[in-house]
Amino acid sequence: MIRGTTIHLSILMLGLVAAMVSACTTGSAPRMVGTGDVVYDRQRLMKIQGAQWNEIQAKFKAGDIKGLAANAEVEAVTSMQIPSLFPEGSLTTQSKAKPEVWERWGEFEATAKNMTIWSERLRDAAQANDQKAVADIMKDYGRVTCGACHTTFRQPQTQR
Amino acid sequence: MTMLLAILLVLGSAMHARAAEPDQLARGKYVFGATGGCGCHTEPKGVLNAGGRKYDGPFGTVYSSNITPDPKAGIGSWTDEQIITAIRLGRRPNGERILPVHPFTSFNGMAEDDLAALVKFLRSVPPASKAAPAKKITIPMFESVFLPAWLMTFASKETPPSAAPVSGVARGEYLVRAVGHCGECHTPRSALTMAVDSSRFLAGNTKKTGPEGQATPNLTPDKGTGLDWNEEQIVTYLQTGNRPDGDVAGGLMGEVIQGTAAGYKDLTKADLQAIARYLKSIPAVKNKIE
Repeated sequence: MIRGTTIHLSILMLGLVAAMVSACTTGSAPRMVGTGDVVYDRQRLMKIQGAQWNEIQAKFKAGDIKGLAANAEVEAVTSMQIPSLFPEGSLTTQSKAKPEVWERWGEFEATAKNMTIWSERLRDAAQANDQKAVADIMKDYGRVTCGACHTTFRQPQTQR
Repeated sequence: MTMLLAILLVLGSAMHARAAEPDQLARGKYVFGATGGCGCHTEPKGVLNAGGRKYDGPFGTVYSSNITPDPKAGIGSWTDEQIITAIRLGRRPNGERILPVHPFTSFNGMAEDDLAALVKFLRSVPPASKAAPAKKITIPMFESVFLPAWLMTFASKETPPSAAPVSGVARGEYLVRAVGHCGECHTPRSALTMAVDSSRFLAGNTKKTGPEGQATPNLTPDKGTGLDWNEEQIVTYLQTGNRPDGDVAGGLMGEVIQGTAAGYKDLTKADLQAIARYLKSIPAVKNKIE
């Protein structure tokens, strides 16, 4: 009986340890990704997004509607990462972000989410090879996604 | 018979006037868009033209006016002429000066027919009854002594054309200088007097002298420090906010492109091309903006 209890306790302990190890490695606490310099990482991400947007426009001009779906998907996936790249206290001298990011966090998150929604719509329209729908989305895409965020939450660009 | 003809003529004329009204309203909205949507008069996500946006300056704090047709809080009780005087000369009906935060020295170059159409549009939007907060001027005798002296000494004014140019570089110049009032933000200002340096038109401002503490780029075609985009890229930027490098306009420029009820994005391709052509034609000024 005692032996049986010990075995049960051992199994329970093992389970607990496994659960703790699992929580430490894959659990709720986010794993460290990127270079450790979050400002650098988010600027890289924005540059990738800018390059994708350029490619989307070039493909659209060239009539490669289906081809731009992959770029739109990259925009969708990367836009999901945006809020996590703006932790509290990351407004350094290297950053072009405005304090409004953290002062109006809910709005900031919603703007990033909006980019995901628009990017997915663009992806779906492109996959369906629906040129008109793609054109309609692209007419406003830059302003309502990147532009909406840049207008409220980023210092203006001074270089042309 | 003559009498009947006269009546028909009068009726026909009245009907024509009514039919012309929507055209003038549409033109007014277009002009409104060409100003950038008079965005200073609408708080972000706020009520159109209801004012209340805060502007801090060395003189104190002012709030943009309510320019909706509300008779008490807005401009509903003003005559067309009084509204036009405020827009282009910076004077209220009671004679009080409007601070040159309102770009009347640029709007002074707007053609009469564009202003008349703009007034029609301003009268067409829903009235908002909330008055803008009162300004807080911190410099003694600022409005009675300093401002008139400053205006007399430093304020350059555009010359209004008898009619708005309709095409070509002249059209672009009109849209840039007067209606779009691009020089207000993009022409260098003196850090001491905040006077615009017209000899370096559109050569950009540093954070120290730029609007709302923001630097603005050099738009002259100077190689190295100015705008090196081609005409098509300029048109795309004003229409969509998309820059050639994949970035998208933000800040105040993002606001005027987007506009409120209308903005730069709503300009016709022909007008945007005229603007681009004009920007390519102005003298290059070396001025690196950091």
